[in-house]
Parts: sequence; C-alpha cells; structure tokens
Amino acid sequence: MQKHSIKIGIVGNPNTGKSTLFNALTGARQHVGNWPGKTIEKKEGVFTHNNHAIKIIDLPGSYSLTAYTEEETITSQFILEERPDAIIQILDAQNLERNLFMTIQLIELGAPLVIAINMLDLAEESGIKIDTKKLSTLLGVPVVRIAAKNKKGIKDLLDTAINHSASSRKTGIKLKYGEDIDRELIKIKDFLKIQKHESPSPEWTAIKLLEQDLRIEQEMVKKPYYFDLKRESDNSIANLEKIFGKDINTILAQTRYGFIKGLAKETIRQEKEESITKSDKADKILTNKFLGLPIFMLIAWIIFQITFKLSKPLSHLIELFIAEISERLTSILASLNASEWLRSMVIDGIIGGVGGMLTFTPIIGILFLIIAILEDSGYMSRVAYLMDKFMHKIGLHGKAFIPMILGFGCNVPGIMATRTLESKRDRLIAILINPFMSCGARLPVYAMFTAAFFSANEGLIVFSLYGLGIVIAILSGLFFKKIFSKKLSTPFVIELPPYRWPAVTGITIHALSKMWIFIKKAGTIILAFSILIWLMANLPQGVEYGSEESIVGILGKAISPIFKPLGFGTWEASVALLFGLVAKEVVVGTFGTLYGIAGTGDTQSLSTILQQNFTPLSAYSFMVFTLLYIPCIATLATIKKETNSWKWMFFSVFYSTLTAWIIAFLIYQTGKLLGFN
Amino acid sequence: MRTLSELKQGSEAEITGINCGKDFSRRLCDLGIFEGTKLTVMKNDNFGPIIIHVLNSKIAIGRGEASKIHAKTLN
Repeated sequence: MQKHSIKIGIVGNPNTGKSTLFNALTGARQHVGNWPGKTIEKKEGVFTHNNHAIKIIDLPGSYSLTAYTEEETITSQFILEERPDAIIQILDAQNLERNLFMTIQLIELGAPLVIAINMLDLAEESGIKIDTKKLSTLLGVPVVRIAAKNKKGIKDLLDTAINHSASSRKTGIKLKYGEDIDRELIKIKDFLKIQKHESPSPEWTAIKLLEQDLRIEQEMVKKPYYFDLKRESDNSIANLEKIFGKDINTILAQTRYGFIKGLAKETIRQEKEESITKSDKADKILTNKFLGLPIFMLIAWIIFQITFKLSKPLSHLIELFIAEISERLTSILASLNASEWLRSMVIDGIIGGVGGMLTFTPIIGILFLIIAILEDSGYMSRVAYLMDKFMHKIGLHGKAFIPMILGFGCNVPGIMATRTLESKRDRLIAILINPFMSCGARLPVYAMFTAAFFSANEGLIVFSLYGLGIVIAILSGLFFKKIFSKKLSTPFVIELPPYRWPAVTGITIHALSKMWIFIKKAGTIILAFSILIWLMANLPQGVEYGSEESIVGILGKAISPIFKPLGFGTWEASVALLFGLVAKEVVVGTFGTLYGIAGTGDTQSLSTILQQNFTPLSAYSFMVFTLLYIPCIATLATIKKETNSWKWMFFSVFYSTLTAWIIAFLIYQTGKLLGFN
Repeated sequence: MRTLSELKQGSEAEITGINCGKDFSRRLCDLGIFEGTKLTVMKNDNFGPIIIHVLNSKIAIGRGEASKIHAKTLN
C-alpha cells in the first residue's frame, strides 16, 4: 500500500555535489523544465522508497538564501509557498564553514531541514575530522554522512528525511544576533503584529527586511502598510549602521560567521597543517599568466576535433535512418493512394526539415558531454578566470566566454550554455552576440562559394569570415554594454573548486537531457516552420516546388531589390536566404534546386552556374550576409526559450539582419569603388 | 592601507573595508568575505583577476573589484 507522497527539495552551495546527489537519488527518472516565469532550469525526479512516493526537486545552487536577483527568490519562495516535507542541504565537508552560512538561514526560515555532509573522505585525506553527532546536537537538525558519487548513505538520508518530515517541524537552534540587532528585530516584529501580518516565521520576515531581500520586498509592496513598514525597517537599518559603523550586510554576515566559527571550533578538527594540494600544483600551470591561455586554446581545439570527429559517423547513421524512414513512408503513402500533395508535404517538407535538424543531435550531445566534463572537473571556472580580462572589454565577465566558444560548433548549445551566467543582463548580451559566432552549418555555404570563386585561397577566405563574425560579436557586445544599464552587471567573483574526476552517470544524464530538449524542439517549432515553408514553396496550387511562380518565388522577387545594393539582387539568391532560415546549410541545397541541378551532386556545374550569377565580390558579400543575417529557426527558438520573451527574439532578427545588410553593403560598395568585381 | 589588488602573491592579509556597491558587497558577504576576514593571496600576477584563499577555498575576484577591497598585511 502506498503511504502519502513526500516532497523533498535539495539545496546547497555550488560545487558541493548537489547534482550528483540528485542523480543518485532519482537516476534517469528526471523531468527538466523551467521555474514558472523564470529562465532557470527546474529539475524534478519521482520514485518510490519504502512505499513512499517521493518527489525530489533540485533547487538552484547558491551561497545564501538572501535574494538580490529575481532568480534567487526561487529557493525561499519554494520553501515558504510549496511547503516541502523536507529540505536536504548538501554540505561539502572540506568547506563546512562557508556551507553552514546557508544552513543558518535555512534554520531561521523554519525549513524542515536535514543536512547531508558530502565528501568526508576527501576532507579526512586533508586531515579534517568532523564530529557530525555534535554538529547535529548543536544545530538541532539531523545530520547524515553521505558519499554522493559512490551512492553511499543515500538510503540513510532518505529514511532520515522521511522520518523528519513525519515528526514535528519545530527544530533548529535560534541564532542570537546580540542586543542591538535583537532590539531592532523586535521593533519590526511588533509592527508586523499590530498590522496583523501573516507570516510563517515573523523572525525570518524581520531579518529579511533588514537585509532588504528582494522576495520580501515583492511580498510587502502589495500591503497597505508597506510605506510605514519600509520607514520602520529603514530606520532600524540606519540605527544599526550608526551603532556598528558599517553597513547592515556586513554586520549580519559578521554575526553569522561569528556563530559559525564557534560551531566549527566545537565540531571540526584540523589535524594536519594545510599543505600544497595537487589542485594547487595544477593551478600553477593551468592558470599561469603565459601558459594558461595557450593550454586553454589547445584544449578548445581538441574539443572541436573530438566533437566533429565523433559526431560525424553518428550523424551519418541518423541520416541513413532518416533516409530509410523516408523511403518506407513513401511506399506506405503510395500504397494508401495518398495524394501527391500529401506525399510531398510529408517527404519534402516534414522529413526534409525535421530530419535535417535531427542529424545535429550527436553534435549537441557530445558537445554537452564535454562541457559537463569540463564543468564537473573544475576547469571551466579556470577558463572564466583566464578570459576575464578580455571579456571585460565588451562589458561581460570571464564566464561569458564559454558560450561563445560553443557557438562555433552550433549556436543552439552556445545560447543554452549562457545559463551559467547569473545576471539577466549578462545572459542577454551573451545570447544576442552568440549568433555571430560562425556555426558549423554556415561552413557548407562558404565551401560552395569558395570552390566557385576563390579556389586559390579558400582557407584565407573562410578564416576571414570566422574572424569577421568574432569582430562583429565583440563590437555588438560593446554596443549592448552602452545601451543596457550598467547597474545590473554582476562583478566577477567565482569559486575555483578543487579539481575532481567527473561523475560519469551525472554527465551522461546531463548530455542526454540536453539532447532530448533539442529533439523536442525539432518536433515542435521546427516541424511547424518546415511545413510553413513547404506550403509557401508549393502554393498556389500547380506550381513547381520553389519556382518563380510559387509564393516563395514571388516573395523572393519582391524582396530581391533590397539585396541589389549588396550585389546579389536575383530572386534565386533571395529565395535561398529565405530558406536558409530553416538552417543555414539549406542555402546550398536551395541553389541546387533553383538552378535545376538538385540531387546530381555535380559541384562542377553548380560552380559554373554560380559564376554566371555572381562575381567574386558579390559572392563574398553574399557569404558575409549569410554569416550575419537572421540566425536559423533553431537558434531563434532557443533565444525565445532562454530569454523567455518574444521581444528579444524579434530584436535579434532585426538587429542581425540590419547588421548583415550594412556590413555586406559596405564590403560590396567599397570593393566596387576599389575596382574589384 | 592598501587594496587587495596591490597585495603580493603569498601574503596574508585582513580585510579592513570594502568600498563598493551594495550588491557586490552583499555577494562577498555571502562568500565569507567582509571586514575582518583573514585571507591569503594565492595569485596576483598583475594581470587579470586575483585569486585568494579564504575559508578553505579558492576564490577569483576581478581586478577592478579587488581594487575596491582594502586590506592590511599580517605577515
């Protein structure tokens, strides 16, 4: 028989093994979504343990419960509003003091807390001994020893959490802030009592008011007594700041860390003097002023080689698989006597569009697998450290560099990887400049044109396009830095965790879930657009697919004057660019179809026809336009999803097209003036 | 009185004041970096961010930010 279901949230500092614990608890039974109205990932897992149906929710990693940004309100909001049966906080045994900072806040909040201490073996190796029993007594909450990577102590942890949720909630010590602060807290609490303010923990509310926490601010601003309350709390803050001679956050942090120091003295024994660890030695080389960057460049290059080499055969397999399906479907449709119209829509439209996208899944999967390894191992934060100085120049900090690198492979994972940036503004800039990083899909277009026009120096021409993309990304970064308020920027502080071996199951699950997100997208948004474009190429009825008389052809003709000043005013070029929205490599196929040499694979004749329709200068201008104009549909859909706004998606469309037009115009016109053709 | 960005690699120091915006100082507080915190400068090569050792972990802080943190050396 099933007992009542139990809801458990997991919290913890970054780099404590929180994801590993979540994976150990739930295995592959995970659901990844977004927190409502926010761009932060929400992971959930459901399973049964001792006849209890258990739902685990992974809360965002954080050092504190105080919310300064919208995203950071998630954890306290979850605890207060969704009333979980238990909250498991995972602590890194090697770094107990910093981790306990959040523990204290969780206890103040009245969370049904269970502490899981992780990585005790590593701590003991470096001579740190922790008396977990004493810690449990002093804090008044259960403490369980676990090893998340080896799945040790997981059962014990679940049993403890279930028992704890059944027992009465009132546990945990009360931190004494001292006479002065207590006096102000009482003042605020009294005010709230007079106003009959409902709160699960008046103490917590009062403390958060002193901290000027964003979530409490949002809650209070709706109350009729908001202004009086605000005056009251501002008064208290001013009083305290005058007494202590420092700002309120310093006062509170000093008190809390003071308490933690006492706690640590009672429960932690450092037996060996701290010595130089293997991590320190590795850092000597990997973060070296002169060696750090070249080593990173080498690693990045290797990652690219691995990603493309490994994914090529896999992509090929998928291609074969899709071809097989396409053939089967053709014969099924034929046996059903389906109309020519339906057959073409399924085969040319849906299979052509969605199938083409699916061949990218191996690249996405492998790229994310490697990123997960870099992140888990601790190297990613070193990359952020190395690139910080350069990235500062474009108004971002070091962490924003990683998505740019990934963009060379594909802009979709690049944009998805901006999730590692904390501030909304930083994420937005990083997302908007990412499409200018020349992705793999643009390469076939370059290959086609360079083969026809620049066979003597193909490498140089392609390299110049990659370079141009980077330059435009940097200039755009500078531009966005100017137009977005500087206030929202987060300064660069990042913990450099010790180097560790990544947890294999964890990174596999991570990569698979990213692939799944991509496949789902291919099945929805890209499916819809593929059908739309197919329709436009086939209507009005009776026209040849994608011909001059079809809607696409008419549209191509209508917009072609726009491209005249850029050197490629033919309707075919316009149609190719329109089709290129599905995926940029489609530009190649479109030229093939429109010039009537589809499927022959005869690049020689394509080159000849291109030479009749383009000049070297207009070909270069066309490549530049292809590089910079509207990102493909998959990228646009990702921008929409990640910014959670149509506005920024349309902004990206507008901004990139305008940029593309201006740059291509400048190149073509200057080139003409200089006597090139 | 010197700033964190001026301290030599390997020196031990105590923070005497943080002179920057509220948002940033709150974040530093959460990490255990505030007035009175003792730390070791792990890396300061006068280029890019500096790395400090505090509460048994390494933290990288941007050079600009580090120049707003005042500290006195202890050794």
